[in-house]
Amino acid sequence: MSETSSDEARRLADGARERVRFEEEALALADQVYRVARGLSRSKEEAEDLMQETYARAFRSWRSFTPGTNLRAWLLRILTNLNIDRGRRAQRTPDQQPLEESDYFLYNQLEAASGETEEQRVLERLSQDHVAEALSAVPHDFRDVVVLVDIGDFSYAEAAQILDVPIGTVMSRLHRGRRILKKELADLSVESA
Amino acid sequence: MTAVDPCDWCEEVLQPYLDRELTEAEREEAESHLAGCSYCRKRYRFEEGLRRYVRQAVVEPMEPALKQRLSELRLEL
Repeated sequence: MSETSSDEARRLADGARERVRFEEEALALADQVYRVARGLSRSKEEAEDLMQETYARAFRSWRSFTPGTNLRAWLLRILTNLNIDRGRRAQRTPDQQPLEESDYFLYNQLEAASGETEEQRVLERLSQDHVAEALSAVPHDFRDVVVLVDIGDFSYAEAAQILDVPIGTVMSRLHRGRRILKKELADLSVESA
Repeated sequence: MTAVDPCDWCEEVLQPYLDRELTEAEREEAESHLAGCSYCRKRYRFEEGLRRYVRQAVVEPMEPALKQRLSELRLEL
């Protein structure tokens, strides 16, 4: 059975329209996806490479996206998987390092070191450069979650879906990732004091 | 039930509070503690500020040239 040429042409035109819409929607999200890519990468160049690989793969496999579902999460799933594939995983095994500090630890330390008692002043003791540096020192498994939730604004459930791990893993990595981040910040601010 | 120090409890729920992942009842309990405890309130505000710093640490916008390159990756019609 052969389709008439006009049916065939219509089908192709419909497919092309759908694909163009997908590509446009994906490109419209590029700024948001880039924020996460940048947070996961050590340098701007690395983030740009990661973005190009992500979009190349997304455009090739557009048919596997289900319209009406969360395109931003779908793109970030590709991105985080590529990031793992590219061997950017840190070799450190931070789970073996004890991290006893409490959540108030960084504040307490900065307050004690500065003599400031007003939280805005205490916060000003931290520099933006230190934050970026501390973030890049957080091992990848933990940083992925911190970046998705704190920079990408994803819920725990969405981050779990993107990284394909249970929600409990997201919560424990987030908890630990933020602790490591604060520990790094505390060390950096002591060094620079 | 063992008595838990309210400041310890408040510290424990700091992260899920800021992530808006607490239940309604837990959130209310945290807020009522924060209303009367400047020790915890300062630390919560500090943490909110820290989150803003983290967010701003990577806000350099994407280069227009990259956007152009991404657009060129689109499949040929």
